[in-house]
Amino acid sequence: MSWDGFVEGLRSFVVWSMDATAVPIIIYFILINTSLLLLIVLAYLEFRAQQRRRSTAVSWQGAGLAPGVSLLVPAYNEEAGIVMAVKSFLTLRYPRHEVVVVDDGSSDQTFARLAEAFDLVQVPRELPHEIPVRATVLGIYVPRDGRTRLVVVRKENSGRSEAINVAINAASEPLVAMIDGDSILEPDGLLHVTRPFADDPTRMVATGGAIRPVNGSRVVSGRIVRVEMPQTWLPRIQLVEYLRAFLLGRTGWSRLGGLILISGAFGLFRRDVVVEVGGLDPDSIGEDFELVMRIHKRLRDEGRDYAIEFVPEPVSWTEVPVTAKVLRNQRRRWHRGLWETLWAYRTMLFRRKYGRVGWLALPYYWLFELIAPLLELFGILIVPLALALGVVNVPYAILFLVLAYGYAVLVTLSAMVVDEWAFHKHDRWRAVWQTIAASVLENIGYRQATVWWRLEGWWSSLRGKKHVWGVMTRTGFDEDAA
Amino acid sequence: MIVGAALLVGATVVILGACVLLIIAVVAVRARRHSRNQRDEMLLSPLRQPLITVAAGEDDDGTAAEELTWATGVSRTVLDRNIAEMLTKVRGVPAEQLVHVLEVHGAVDAAVDDLTSRSTVKRARAAQLLGLARAERTVPLLVEALGDESVEVRNSAAYALGLIGDPVAAGPVLAAIGAPERGLPAATAAEALQSMGVGISGVLRDGMADPNARTRMVAAHLSGERSFTRGLPELRRLLDFDPDLTVRETSAVAIGRLGRGEDVGILVSHTASSEPLALRRACVVALGELGETEAIPALVLLLGDADPRLAELAATALLTMGPDGRHALAGHDDEPAVRTARLLASLQKASA
Repeated sequence: MSWDGFVEGLRSFVVWSMDATAVPIIIYFILINTSLLLLIVLAYLEFRAQQRRRSTAVSWQGAGLAPGVSLLVPAYNEEAGIVMAVKSFLTLRYPRHEVVVVDDGSSDQTFARLAEAFDLVQVPRELPHEIPVRATVLGIYVPRDGRTRLVVVRKENSGRSEAINVAINAASEPLVAMIDGDSILEPDGLLHVTRPFADDPTRMVATGGAIRPVNGSRVVSGRIVRVEMPQTWLPRIQLVEYLRAFLLGRTGWSRLGGLILISGAFGLFRRDVVVEVGGLDPDSIGEDFELVMRIHKRLRDEGRDYAIEFVPEPVSWTEVPVTAKVLRNQRRRWHRGLWETLWAYRTMLFRRKYGRVGWLALPYYWLFELIAPLLELFGILIVPLALALGVVNVPYAILFLVLAYGYAVLVTLSAMVVDEWAFHKHDRWRAVWQTIAASVLENIGYRQATVWWRLEGWWSSLRGKKHVWGVMTRTGFDEDAA
Repeated sequence: MIVGAALLVGATVVILGACVLLIIAVVAVRARRHSRNQRDEMLLSPLRQPLITVAAGEDDDGTAAEELTWATGVSRTVLDRNIAEMLTKVRGVPAEQLVHVLEVHGAVDAAVDDLTSRSTVKRARAAQLLGLARAERTVPLLVEALGDESVEVRNSAAYALGLIGDPVAAGPVLAAIGAPERGLPAATAAEALQSMGVGISGVLRDGMADPNARTRMVAAHLSGERSFTRGLPELRRLLDFDPDLTVRETSAVAIGRLGRGEDVGILVSHTASSEPLALRRACVVALGELGETEAIPALVLLLGDADPRLAELAATALLTMGPDGRHALAGHDDEPAVRTARLLASLQKASA
């Protein structure tokens, strides 16, 4: 075949593809944008209510009905920051809480650092087996002072989910909070996220708190003393993503009564409910999402009256990836987890007994979270090709691109307004301009890369490839900028 | 073309225009907050010294309080807001002096009017101010506000009633928890009821028969916290028959706090393996709290329970029961639960 013939054939193919997909893509575009607009409106209503609540808040120090909380901290090779993290968790403002650290077979000095800092002594305690675990527990330790509410469990390495399941077995309080060892909690964070449990103690089963990137902020002794923007663009763009996800997405879904995702970096659950559903699934990649789905399914199957709520106050700060390699691994894992969980719970779709979860939240996640990168990839490939072949009108294509990405920027800016209005965590004006710039830059390269990584994760799952957990390189927190 | 060029241009202009508006909104919100803070700071600065003098209890001759009453216009509004904030922290004579300033400013009367304002925030703040000013005459109005359409107002009214502490409001506060569609958050209700003195025991007893589980739970919890023994028969009934597990657990804890020897039997009966594990554990802890030696045989049996946590709780309970309890542990020294409980007790003793 001659070159001209090949080009002509390709042109015909591109024209045919665009003709065939134009209507579905336009419909999809309208649907996704309308749903995002709806989420923005819902989030706005929720924030207006939250803002009203905040401006009329009465002091609550957790007296009376505040349920006790066990903070569950899985730790694997966290020698750099584990002692500081545990100290800051122990000194949170809350009337009754304990910290349960599970050293998941670390090969570094994680346990030694803890043992030295808290003068740990081994206790001959047997852990309950309420949630079955495969790994062997090597020992249980408590501080010699007899007062510090810390329990350290050493076990063979078997992954984060099993570490959390062991921690749930070791926990003694009615609520369990799953926290990453490298997270920083706001001093009043527990008071915020437990409040829904105290207000509605017989119905509330889980709450999630908003998470923010800590990169660039000044951290002293496990506390953020000054919130700053990250120093490079990759984490800055992730900050924009976090704002959008937590301030619009989760808040909107919570308002709608269809919250199905609570971030693994900080989630608070009723211990008895987590035990009842069997704890985290150690074989799941999206274990946090899977747990919330399992809770929804079980409680709705049994016709129980319950609530899961999102607390938009920034509760937890976490270090986000600063290299493309780590980010790629994270996004592959997230999308794979999303696919596997959605597939596992596909029977909940469009079933009356699952209410808004089955009729709204799950279809949304299927259509606009799972499939979105596939369609976006199609666009990324076909539009440049069509431009190169002269199949589409260039100004028309540019306009369409500006519209599509302009809409993405609009959504981010809506989240920014909400953040500025309700929380205003960043003091400097520079942070405003950097966030606006990040919301534009996100669409140039970053977005396309994450589309590809997400599809990689999905594809590896479809091929049945075993997931390998990457190493999240932490810079750790010190007296200077994190 | 599926989408007409004109439509596309129009949509793009709208989107980009909305983006610009949102950027302006971010800047405006930030600038407004900054300027308001500066204005408040400037208005308050000449009044700060007398305000601190009054709040610190150093205004013996009343001149500083007098000075505060002279504030007018926006300064007065800003000052009243700061006084309301201070009233959450100060007590005694300084609090009375600050309330006097508010009264002279007409803030208390204005708050009574604001209780019927169309603004939710105004109604809520008004209710709070009446509570902070301990305006007892407004209790009926605040009770009425417990049925407000806005949860913020209901919350603030309950908070205010708690600050005033008049037990006459206990019944409405407790009833408001389970009001259909307009319920009062349980945490606020519990805190308000906590500060209403001993006159509320009858209300709590009635509350334990309420059809709403949250109301029963708050009533059971407070009966235990405040040691209202009049509620014991209802607590026993809840522990035995309530359909809600949280209510049963709360009742077990309350019985542990205020129960008698005759309650050992009921608590022991709910440590049976057929009961939910969380309830069994709560009952064992309650038996330890109760400290009645009649519970010793049952607790000894639980030392060999399949649930290691329950066994450890039983051992801990026995250790708190004096020589009889400790003696009962003899012969079980090899059991991990007993060894753990002993070790933890010795660590606590050493650090005491």
